[in-house]
Amino acid sequence: MTDRTLVVLFLRGGADGLDLVPPVGDDDYQRARPTLAVRARDAIRLDDRFGLHPELAGLEPLFKEGALAVVHAVGSEDETRSHFAAQDLAEQGAPAAAGGWLGRWLRRRGGDGPLAAVAIGAALPESLRGAPAASTLRSLADLGGSAQALHAPLAGLYAADPLLGRSARDAVAAAKRLAGLRAQPAAGADYPVDDPFGRGLADIAALIKAGVGLRAACIDLDGWDSHFVQASVLAGRRRTLARGLAAFARDLGPRLATTSVVAMSEFGRRVGENASRGTDHGRGGVAFVLGGGTPGGMHCRWPGLAHGVLAGPGDLPVAHHLRAVLGAVLRRHGEDDPGAVFPGAAIEPLPV
Amino acid sequence: MNGLTRRSLLALGAAGWAGACGLAGGALLHRPGATPASAGEPPADDAVDLAGHVLNRCTFGATPAERAGLLALAGPPDAAVDAWLDGQLAAEDDDEPAERALHRFTALDAPIAELYEYKPAVLRDELAGATLLRAVHGRRQLREVLVGFWSDHLNVAMAKGECAWLKPADDRLVIRRHVLGRFRDLIGASALSPAMLWYLDGRENRRRTSAERPNENYARELLELHTLGIGGGYSQRDVMEVARCLTGWTVRGQDGFHKARVEFHADAHDDGAKVVLGTVIPAGGGRDDLDRVLDLVCAHPATARHLAGKLCARFIADDPPAAAVDAVAAAFTASRGDLRATVRALLRTAEFRAPAMRAGKLKRPFHFVAACLRLCGARSDGGPAMLAWLERMGQALFQCPTPDGYPEAASAWRDTLLWRWDLAAALAQDRVAGTRIDRARLLAGGVAALAAHAFGRQPTAAERAALATPGVDPLALILAAPAFQRC
Repeated sequence: MTDRTLVVLFLRGGADGLDLVPPVGDDDYQRARPTLAVRARDAIRLDDRFGLHPELAGLEPLFKEGALAVVHAVGSEDETRSHFAAQDLAEQGAPAAAGGWLGRWLRRRGGDGPLAAVAIGAALPESLRGAPAASTLRSLADLGGSAQALHAPLAGLYAADPLLGRSARDAVAAAKRLAGLRAQPAAGADYPVDDPFGRGLADIAALIKAGVGLRAACIDLDGWDSHFVQASVLAGRRRTLARGLAAFARDLGPRLATTSVVAMSEFGRRVGENASRGTDHGRGGVAFVLGGGTPGGMHCRWPGLAHGVLAGPGDLPVAHHLRAVLGAVLRRHGEDDPGAVFPGAAIEPLPV
Repeated sequence: MNGLTRRSLLALGAAGWAGACGLAGGALLHRPGATPASAGEPPADDAVDLAGHVLNRCTFGATPAERAGLLALAGPPDAAVDAWLDGQLAAEDDDEPAERALHRFTALDAPIAELYEYKPAVLRDELAGATLLRAVHGRRQLREVLVGFWSDHLNVAMAKGECAWLKPADDRLVIRRHVLGRFRDLIGASALSPAMLWYLDGRENRRRTSAERPNENYARELLELHTLGIGGGYSQRDVMEVARCLTGWTVRGQDGFHKARVEFHADAHDDGAKVVLGTVIPAGGGRDDLDRVLDLVCAHPATARHLAGKLCARFIADDPPAAAVDAVAAAFTASRGDLRATVRALLRTAEFRAPAMRAGKLKRPFHFVAACLRLCGARSDGGPAMLAWLERMGQALFQCPTPDGYPEAASAWRDTLLWRWDLAAALAQDRVAGTRIDRARLLAGGVAALAAHAFGRQPTAAERAALATPGVDPLALILAAPAFQRC
């Protein structure tokens, strides 16, 4: 329980769940998307209703071996369909909450070290706001290293300090593990390294393998806001996503059992395609859980796509709240009371 | 010349003949550009002396100029310390060096309704940056330390609801306005602060029908955190009754007219009789129930003890001596919650001044960052590059997600050493974006002298040896040393 890492991958822009995990068995789906729908014969079968977009083929082995759970019609309470508001709410976790859900969880844990939380990118994501220690970095090169020469003389001075001696020893040990740390992917782990997402995942894997006490990591994959000619906008994104996650799983090897990756987005997209062969902001989308002891499988209380069922201007409703996914994963990461991480909000139990 | 001896004048050196003349009970102006190392003799003792201790606890970091200015106020150090503290607690409000440092932060003075025109991230960074720069450059150091204390005590996280747009006004009109005023006024302003009404859901606290339950969030934290404290003698029933008293108060949000206007809706107020802490608040009180209940809780003896305990933990020791807590609680009560008088009484206790209490606390990350910048005479923009260090160490300003604010005790902050050492190295090499130091000027007086100023005492033989290690940056080592983490 002590050596687990929770990696949150945020697909920014509103990733189209009906494209990534098409309900190919649902006739309403095929009718609603004359040009964009994935045909049943092209999709990778997940179950009787759902398939995986063919460009996510890299995820198929993980699904088959039970290391990947897929949740559909998942989302938040947000009805604005605004990127800004919906992302903030997804990262806060509950409307009445202050700060980020990961920040609250980490603060509840206590006792984690200086490298407990890392975010790959330029700014601290909202989900980590309020964390006891959160480092934002573009790459491993940003982490530590400037104080290396000080550590030996400092160790001597701190050894004599009754208040800080032990903490200093821990800090020196952590710094040693960080020194010169670089991503060294295992054989066969084929990260999409031309994309910062691929390099970022490789760096997170390096931190996990180095045992620096990483409890939470955040990384984004942008570019999902496919209002316009969705087919070309998403082509590269799907492949990057699948390739990155498959490489990460391969790179971690046995450590995948103690590492959870949660991939989520601020909302899904409109059921019907628009006039520009794209889709507009919707509600229910898709989330993935990889590794960490997930039972895997397809999870959805599918509401269907009949006209009377759709939310607002024609959106897949939210059948499962994101918290159901996050709460289930938090339980496997030592949190006995996920409700306390999401104050004032209910959490449906979901076996993901 | 008020105890300014020729010896102490010589000690002032470049830092401020003019400043010294302007004293008359006021604190010495600390000009960030003043030659740091040449301004005043370093501490000569092997243990932190009273002046060093007072600077550790009542400023955001000792500097040569601050120490010299303090000692110049009177011949005997005890008298100089008293004069310095009097100056720090004096009534004038202006802090010209701080204001000069803040000229870039234009959003923060906007009237509250106009704050909504700014992006939350901009306001968050500006408020944090301004707070840091005030701590670094401000003349009224003790006041800034107390602003930090009360900001934690009455915590508002900018990430909740519309708080990002409202906390800058709360900082100005609640905390800073009342920091040396009366506790009752501080709590009164906080209870009706738009930011607090959002943060603890006071704006949702209503009872329009008998079926509707009041929202107890603010009432609970008012009793548990802001006034009586846990174990202060209130019951769950008291929480409910206080919530009933506060029903009907709300604040308008960003949609529509009169943004951030605080309003009392009589039809949402529970106007029945209430019993709070054994006192009956008769029915029909309407909006006056708020003042009645705040009067009660602020005057409760447990409140005096609770606040005294927290103040003594901040200024004396994480586990403060009972005698000091008693004395401070008595001063709070005798002065009817006058915060200036209460702090003055604390700083006069034997426990505060006792040598055994010196260098026994750990600087929290914000204090450490400010102390580094102060010692180095740094010019910083207080921008994201510097603020990121606070995120790494877990004390990003105005982002504490729990209403009890950032903890005071050392145990909560011991795991920040790795980042403190990294910042020390980066700052010493002048490699933090938006911040500049002048190494040559800093080290002109010698490494040992600077170390003494930093540690508040002469460096030990072990420290001298470490500082002389070949290939080690002595300035970085000073900032990273255990003695500099302590206060």
